[in-house]
Amino acid sequence: MTVIDPRIHQVLDGELAPEAVPAELRRTVAQLAAAADLLAALPPGATASLESRVMAAIRRPAPSRARRVLRWLVTPHAIILRVRPAWSVAFAAVVAALTLFTAGPEGPELAEHEGIAQFVGRFPEAQSVHAVGTFNDWRSGSIALEDQDHDGVWRATVVLPTGTYEYMFVVDGERWVPDHLAERLVADDFGRENSIVIVRPAGR
Amino acid sequence: MIRWGVLGCAAFLAVPLAAQSVRSRLEGRIPSAAIPAVDSLIQFASQEGLPTEPLIQKALEGGAKHVAGPRIVAAVQVSLGQLRGARDLLVRAGDQPPVEPSEMTTVAWALRRGLPAPVVERVVAALARPPRGAALHAVADLVAHRFDPDSAAGLIIQAVHEGVPQERLLDVSAAVLQQVQRGRTRADALAIVRRELPNLPASSKSTRGNVAGARRPASPVPP
Repeated sequence: MTVIDPRIHQVLDGELAPEAVPAELRRTVAQLAAAADLLAALPPGATASLESRVMAAIRRPAPSRARRVLRWLVTPHAIILRVRPAWSVAFAAVVAALTLFTAGPEGPELAEHEGIAQFVGRFPEAQSVHAVGTFNDWRSGSIALEDQDHDGVWRATVVLPTGTYEYMFVVDGERWVPDHLAERLVADDFGRENSIVIVRPAGR
Repeated sequence: MIRWGVLGCAAFLAVPLAAQSVRSRLEGRIPSAAIPAVDSLIQFASQEGLPTEPLIQKALEGGAKHVAGPRIVAAVQVSLGQLRGARDLLVRAGDQPPVEPSEMTTVAWALRRGLPAPVVERVVAALARPPRGAALHAVADLVAHRFDPDSAAGLIIQAVHEGVPQERLLDVSAAVLQQVQRGRTRADALAIVRRELPNLPASSKSTRGNVAGARRPASPVPP
């Protein structure tokens, strides 16, 4: 416990003139006087006792239902969830089944004699890539590959009548390149090789 | 009598109309100097009952690749020879003339993919009824991966005899190649798949997922 110099009490009580005490005690006296002035300037409610504050809270009118609901909504609550694993698995299975079997078909409807051909090629510097072959009379422009994520891998997925087709990629409208990912190649009789794609029925 | 007359007139008119149609497909697509020669080769094919579409496609391919006219004519001539060879092979293997044009195209393709003619003949003879495209492509797929042509043909013929449907024959060759990728020797891979027939791994055909992202080509696909 800090012991206060008795001369400070005397100065504060007016029994001793401030000039009669040393300079360091005068500073302390000045600080205490300033604190007393500050307390005196506060409104009366600010210095109310704990008892009076508790009583005021008790006497305060109850908050409205809307306020209580709002408070409940914004206050964090702990939620305890009891789950039977068997029910969880069953629920997941039902959701998966509904997702798989009720999702409507997207993309084009395929006829019995139609299938899907996928073309993929890696051409990092290309501005355009087209699949050109017997499926489009060797006419460039009808099957454009796309590089949507700009990673240099160009792709196209197209619906074609079932059958066997020869094709090549045309890069930037002038460079003829075989599909290096194609499993089947055949000489084109012009000194190069065509790729072969076999389009099978989609079986939907 | 009237019926025969109508048929004769139709045939008389059909040939020039077909020729006109071929010319219109070639005009502007191949050097104009090459059109008469290509057209006459196509007419020969038509008169011999050979399919003409592969010849038209070969000419269009040459034009698209900016090949000189004489080379286009030469390539079409080679294709005509291949179709004639395919027809003769089919007849030798037991098909009754007139041979189906689609079968001639299939056999010509198999020969171009490097299948020896006796192996193609063996497959054709073993599979009495067309279409044989899937079977021949399955054999060619194996041969392209350095399988013995006779062994490859034997496996595919056995698959057909054991009831594997046409549309799954490519899965037979795919299953064999899968075994090789797993480190089996070619002989072991063939033996494993042969033992499992007619059971095959799941097909790799189109799924709902890739159909969803599919689109139709911007221009119509030729017949």
